[in-house]
Formats: sequence, structure tokens, C-alpha cells
Amino acid sequence: MSAKPASFRPTMPETIAGVALLLVAVAPIVFDVGNYALGLLVSSLVLAGLGLSWALLGNLGGMVSFGHAAFFGVGAYASALVSARLGLPVVVAVPLGGLVASLSAITMLPTLRLSGPYFALAILAYAQIFRILATEAASITGGAGGLQRYPSLPTILGLDLSSRTGSYLLVLSVVAVFAGVYVAIRRSHVGIALRAIAESEVATRVVGVDSLRLKAWMLLLSAFMAGVFGALNAHVIGFLEPDYAFGGSWSMMPIIAAVFGGYRTVLGPICGAVAIYLFDQLVAKSLIPVGHEILLGVVLAVMVLIAPNGIAGFVGGLLDRPKGGRPHVAT
Amino acid sequence: MFELVLQAVFSGVLVGSVYALVALGLAVAFGAMRIINLAHGELVLLAAYMAYVVEGRFGLNPWAAIPLALVVVVSLSWVIFKAVDRIREHRELNSLILTFAVGIVLTNAILLIFASDVRSTSSPTLQDAISIGDLFAMKGEIVAFCVSLVLMGALWWWLKKSWYGRAVRAVSSNREAAGLMGIDPARIETTAFLIAGALAAFAGVALYTMSVVQPAVGHTFTVKAFIVTVLAGVGSIPGVFLGALLLGVTEALTVTLASSALQELAGMVLFLLVLFFLPNGLFGARARRG
Amino acid sequence: MVRRILVSAALGLALGAVGATAGHAQSATKIVIGAHMPLTGSLARSGHAFDEGMRVALEACNAAQPRHRFEVEEIDDESTPAKAVSAVEKLAASGAAAIIGGYGSNIVGPASDASDKLGKTYVTAGAVSDELTARGLKTFFRINNNAGYQRGIAGLITDLKPTAVSIVASTKEAPTLLAEGLEKELSAKGIKVTVHKFDPAITDFKPIVNKIKVQDKPDIIMMSAYENDYVGIVRAAKVLKPDVKLIVGAWSLATPKMSQEFPDLMTNVVGTSFLPFPVEVKSPEGLRFAESYKAMYGKEIEYLSSLAFVETMVLCEAMVRSADAGTLDKGGLPAEMRKTDRPSILGRIQFDATGDNPNFALSMGQHRDGKIVLVSPKGAATGPLVYPGLPW
Repeated sequence: MSAKPASFRPTMPETIAGVALLLVAVAPIVFDVGNYALGLLVSSLVLAGLGLSWALLGNLGGMVSFGHAAFFGVGAYASALVSARLGLPVVVAVPLGGLVASLSAITMLPTLRLSGPYFALAILAYAQIFRILATEAASITGGAGGLQRYPSLPTILGLDLSSRTGSYLLVLSVVAVFAGVYVAIRRSHVGIALRAIAESEVATRVVGVDSLRLKAWMLLLSAFMAGVFGALNAHVIGFLEPDYAFGGSWSMMPIIAAVFGGYRTVLGPICGAVAIYLFDQLVAKSLIPVGHEILLGVVLAVMVLIAPNGIAGFVGGLLDRPKGGRPHVAT
Repeated sequence: MFELVLQAVFSGVLVGSVYALVALGLAVAFGAMRIINLAHGELVLLAAYMAYVVEGRFGLNPWAAIPLALVVVVSLSWVIFKAVDRIREHRELNSLILTFAVGIVLTNAILLIFASDVRSTSSPTLQDAISIGDLFAMKGEIVAFCVSLVLMGALWWWLKKSWYGRAVRAVSSNREAAGLMGIDPARIETTAFLIAGALAAFAGVALYTMSVVQPAVGHTFTVKAFIVTVLAGVGSIPGVFLGALLLGVTEALTVTLASSALQELAGMVLFLLVLFFLPNGLFGARARRG
Repeated sequence: MVRRILVSAALGLALGAVGATAGHAQSATKIVIGAHMPLTGSLARSGHAFDEGMRVALEACNAAQPRHRFEVEEIDDESTPAKAVSAVEKLAASGAAAIIGGYGSNIVGPASDASDKLGKTYVTAGAVSDELTARGLKTFFRINNNAGYQRGIAGLITDLKPTAVSIVASTKEAPTLLAEGLEKELSAKGIKVTVHKFDPAITDFKPIVNKIKVQDKPDIIMMSAYENDYVGIVRAAKVLKPDVKLIVGAWSLATPKMSQEFPDLMTNVVGTSFLPFPVEVKSPEGLRFAESYKAMYGKEIEYLSSLAFVETMVLCEAMVRSADAGTLDKGGLPAEMRKTDRPSILGRIQFDATGDNPNFALSMGQHRDGKIVLVSPKGAATGPLVYPGLPW
């Protein structure tokens, strides 16, 4: 495992990659692909953000969650309610939604002591609980009937964020910002410590790293990110109801996206989400109109078996091979 | 009120016995391999649909579907086992994701083949009421309860007395040591997984006879089975049965004493409480913390 | 699937041949109607039924006049709002003249909002929430609403003059709405109402039914829920045998499908319905619908496909009028929709200023010996109600 120097100046290849990404990102606007395609991209970017938050937790926190819908839904409802009932502007409500999602993660702190599958399903239990609470607290959340009358994204500096172009640029920027945060953490001392923990918790505790504290911070951060994207999505869609906001696919898709793209990298979950979502919408649906999720399941299964580090890992492995192979981490 | 509570407990026990059947398979696989098969609920569901095919197509009693269900589900279990076995890195995490993916594939396969209609037995005998004193149940539920009890007993006996069973316990306790003793861990793990599949087959048929199934339900049953496994703790078969009964009774009592809208909430809260405060589950023999 | 395509192709050819010979030389203008339906996901069953009814209506509409040929461009919204909104945008962009909406108020809401922003008329038969008609949209139209279900069910119940009624309601949106409305209406008439809300995941209803049996002691049990719940509730009731006189449900209950799949559970159970079974529609349009549907899909018409049939017919006719008057491209469709006043198998169809159909009220049908008899309201009844009448 290579620990990169904690330097924040980008290297030449990284700068080129960055510029290339920027070009790819604005291409849909430049080439005017149309509202429908932009809408698809917005949805895929929401998933990308969610996938990023999931991968962050898995990678830096060493915890796999099967219930990220919990944070997504809490962020969505918090932002919608705060902007509708308290009249807060949406620019404030969205980060506030993320904050409330983090707060909800505080109730999950006891789960940090649990090992792999127990943690994963404990978060799922929380997602279910939140969903039921949202349904029951009908006077606040509108219950099963849902919430519709809350503000959509505003117009800022002349750009209407509720338009397809506007929302695309907005969500894209937020994904970029969070990706940057993720990279920064990874390269920092905190990031190195966390990756060490992921390899051997016992050793790090001996050295004096407070692993539980760091894991907690990662949980809160992951929750915040997921909550922000939940909030963004809520304002883009314009309707919320418990089964939608806390729906199982918000827990499932980020996993597929991140594993497919390669959850050990930052770009992996993002590109994986866009690829998987577009594949699902454009290809899978036309092949198998009913039950096309089966193809996603197959993709996920195949990836785990052949390329557990995702496409990014696979490609990385190919690139590394001439130099004598990648060091393999033994189980 | 008292008769309400009594009937609720009775109903809860009957429902719990089917939860036990579903959970037993998951527990056996987990005990032997430390692998949670997230596709377990879908295997159960598949068996339920086999019962539907047998009843609907051939007009037989759903329980006659057991041979078919066993063949289908056990073969699939074997395939899943082989796939999981191929994972080299980060076995715990990757097997979770792999079985999760298999679950998605199975749910959608069932949707594709059988459509999304709700299915349940239409056999009049199984739906007939039977009363024990002032307590009522469906005949199908009593049959399922008996099957669950018998299978649990058989499984417990097998693990305790038979050589194979003791080998499974040895492997789950200490894989390397068992290997040194002349036990082939790989074969034992395969056996455990196949037994889990067989249990899933029985569970699915039982489910069809007393409850309603549709493709989306597979996931729910995986979660319930996991909750029961946590309640029980690792290493105790009677614990799984009792944990399942506890879940069933908790759900029924929540409905009776509080509100039926909160039934699922009660199960989840119970799950979290046991996770946090009872690290060994209620009857388990091994610590479960990270 | 293949059979469906073949049969509808054959039917289409036949109808087309008839149409062609009728208006030979004239080439019809092509008008595309966009539709988004849940063909996959949790609402897939409803989506498919809607899709079928819609297609039969389109065939009928095309056969009825030679000047305009209607085609549908359909997109699967996967039972989610996001994809419904995308679907609407895509359909509008590819030139659909109007949109037929899918199922579920949470999906129809955002989709019709998007449609309104794009200036397209939106018709639905699958969204009953009161919120939808409170938005002031001029392009939104629907033929059924929660009030209508309530009217039908409350009408039947109050006629029977029970002392107490117990309602078992799923916490999902439509059942909750119906239950709350019924509670208000029936309580106002002096009937004691107890509502039991349940989580949709519940499969064992014995504790709830036992509560009803021991504590509520009602004359009538009303089920505001879905098919899988009905099966569980009636089963539990058959086991516990509470001392009630009738079991009433809402949608998707009084259907041939339910009586075929669960014959022992359905006897004397009442549900909302438009049509008796065997189908005894009196109107010629209804008969034609029933026959075409049977020919195309090999099954009987039922509630959901009838809803879609009527909404599509109504839309189509308004579009014909608008196209003939040359106003279709100029936003004249909403006005033509508001001029609608026609009978249908669902009753009289009109649209008020909010786009709602004020006449919508359901009949109630009772299962008897594998048949469904309409028992309420009196004007639509095809037979008397068996009361007391229970599945045991």
C-alpha cells in the first residue's frame, strides 16, 4: 500500500486528467444534448454523489453500509420541510439537510463497534425505522401522502438552477466539491491513519490512533454528503414521500455504482454511477423492460468475482502489470 | 384484553415458527462459513413459487412441492457457494456484495417468470380454521409450525450427535485446527451451505401455505432472517427458534397493544437493542463485536 | 408477449382495413399521444392494466373517424417520480400532443407539473390525491378521485345503517386517504368508526382482526388496502369468525381475478367495481370495449383497464375536436377537454375548473358463486345485496 506524500499540489498527469474531466463534464451543455438527456445525467450525478459518500465510508471508515437511503431520505425531508415550513432559502436548506443527516448519524454511533455484516444491516434497520417514522409523523411530513409544496431550486446570478442546465451544473459542482474533499482527506494524515486502520485495526491502536473517533467522523461526513444529495434530489424532483425518499434503490445503486467503478478510488464511484445509471436507463430497459435490474445484479456479481476493485482497479492493474505486478494484499 | 394478548402470542408463535425456518438456513451458513447469504430470502421465495407451480399447474397440495423445491434451491445454493468460494480478497465484505447481487438477480428472475401478482395457496384445507380452546389458527399455520419444530429438532440432533454435524461445529469453531484433525473444511462448508438451501426450500413452501408472496418479498425475509440470527446469537439452534418466536410475538403484541402501523418498527428496534446491548445475542456463545 | 403483439397487429389490421375502406382516399394526419406508465417497479401490475385499456381505446378512437390517426409513444416510468418527469420531458420534446399519465399521486404530481410547464395537456386515471387538483393547473385532468371512491363506499354503508364500522387501512397513501375520508363521513352520520392502520408489510392479520372482534364489535369491516392485504385480512376473519355482517373493500377486490385465485375467500365480499361479471355492460361502447379487450389480451375487462380506456377515449375525442377546429397546435386542447360531457362505463364524464371529474362515483360489486353482482347504487345495481353475507 503506497502512502502518497501529503502534498496538495497536483502533478502534471493529474492536471491533464483534471482538465480532461472538466471538458467531459461541460460537454453535455456545450453540445446541447437536450433536456431529457440532461435529466438523466442529473439523476446519475445524484447517484454519483451518493456513491461517493458510500465509498468514503467504506474506504476510509472501513464500514460497508446497506442502508445509505437513511441519510439520503433524512436530508431530503429536512431540506424540504425547512424550506417549506420555516421559509429558509433553498441554498441554506440543502446544507442544513446534510447537517440533519449527520445528526441522525449520531444516533448510529453505537453501531461503530459492530463488525462488517452487522454494521451493514444495522444501518438498513435505521433506514426502515426512519421510513416508518416519516410515514407516521404525518402532521409534519405529510405522511404517506407525501410533500409536494416546497420550493424548488432558486435562480442565482441569473442562472435558473431549477432548469435542467442549471440543476446539472449545480449537482456537478457539488459532486466535484465533495470529490475534492474526499481527495484532500485521503492525502492528509487523517486519511493515512484511516487506511491503516482498514488494514489492521489492532496495529493502529497499538500505535495510538483513536480509531473509533476517526470512524465516527467518517460516518458523520458520509451522512452529510448523502444528506446533501438527498436534499438536492428532493428539490430537483419536487415531490417526496417516505417510500421514495428512503427507498431501497438509494441503498442499492450506490453499492453497484461504487463496486463497478472501483470503490477504492475517488473517480470510481462517480464514473461508475454515471455508467451504470445510463446503462440501466438506455440499454437495460430496452433489452428487458420488466425486471431489467437483473442485468445490474449480474454486472455486480461479475465485478465482485473478476474485478473486485472495479473498473478503476482493473484498468490500474493492467497499467501496472508491465512493471512487475501489483502487490497483492493477502486476506 | 387478556384474550387479545393470548391470541396475539399464539399467532406470534405460529408466525415466528416460519421466521425460524427461514432463519435456520441463514444461521447454519453463517455459523459454518461466517458468510451471510444475502440471497437467502430469495431462495426461500423461489421455493414458495415452486409450491405455487405445483399447486397451480398440477393441482396438488403445496407440500408436495418439497422435492421440486429441494432440487431447485439446493442446486442454486451450490452455485452460490461455488461463486462465494472463489472470492480471495476481503471475503466478508465481498461475499456480502456478491450474495446481494445474486439476490437482485433472483428477485428479478422471479419477477420475469412469474410476474408481480400476489400468490398464495388456494387449498381450502390449509386455509381452514382450527381452534385450540379459545385460540384460533389456520390449519396451514399449524402444519408449518410442526414442520419447523421437526426440522429444528432434526438439525439440532444432527449437529450434536452425527459426525458430519460435529465436523461442522469444529470447522466453524476453528477452521485450521479442524483441518489438522483430518476434516476437510471445504467439504464441510459445502455441506453446510447445501443444508441451508434445503432449509430454505422447506421455509419457502411453508410460507406459501400460510402467507402471501410476491417477488419483492424475498428481501424482506432476508432481513427478518438476519434479525433472528442476531437475536439468537451464533452457535445455538434452539436459540434461533426461540429468537424467531420472540420476533413473531413482539410483532403481534405491538399490533395488539400499540398500533399495527408500527409492527415493522418494533422488529427493527428489537434488532437494534439486541445488537447494542446483548453482544452475544440472547442465546449465543460467541462475541460479535468488531 | 408475442401473442399479444400478433393479436393486436391482427386486430389493428382488421380495424385499419375497415377504416381504410370507409375513408379510402383520405390520408389521415398522424397525432402522437405520449404516455408514461409504471411498466416495471412496484406499480407494474397497475401500469400494465392501464397500458392495455389505453391501447384498446386508441384502436377504437382510430376506427371511429378517418381524419386523424392516433399513435402512442409510451415510456416506462419504473414507478418512480424522477423517471416520470424525464419521460414527460422526452415525450414533449419528441412532439407528443398530450400526455396520458400513469399511476400513483406521488408520480403523477411531479409529472403533471412538468407537463404543465411544457404546456402539454395531461390526463390521468391513477391519482386520487386531493392535492393534485389544488394546484391550479389548467392542463391537468383526471377522471377519478378519492371523493368518488368514498362516495361509493360510504353510500353503500350508510344505506345499511350499521351501528359500528371498523376500517382496516394500509399506511400507504391512497388507502390512508380513503380511510380518513370515510371516518369523517360515516362519523358525521352517527356511525361509530374505528380505524386500524397497518404497516403494508404485515401478512398475519389475526391480531388486528381479533382486536376488531373483541373490542370494536362492528357490523361491517371495511378494508382500505391492496390485494395481498385483502387475502390476509379475509383469511384472518375466516379463522376468527368475528360477529360481523359484511366485509367491504376498496379497489382491486371485486374482480374476476380475485374470485378465480381465491374462491373460498371471496364469497359475499364487496368491493368497488364498475362492471358486473360476467360482464353485462349495457352500453354499446362498453360492449365493444369488452370484446376488443378480450380479443387483444385474452382476458376480461376490469377496473384498471376500464379507467385507462375511458380516459384515453375522452382525451382522444377532445383531440379530434380540437384538431378539426385547428386549435390543437395552438393550445386549444384544455378548452376542448372542458367541453367534455359524455356518458361512459364509469358514469358521466365532465371536468370542472380544477380538472376533476365531479360525477365520479363508484358502484359496489359483491362476489357470489364466482360472479360479481353490482349491488349499489340502486341506479346501477344488477342484483340485490346479500346482507348479512360473509365468506364463511
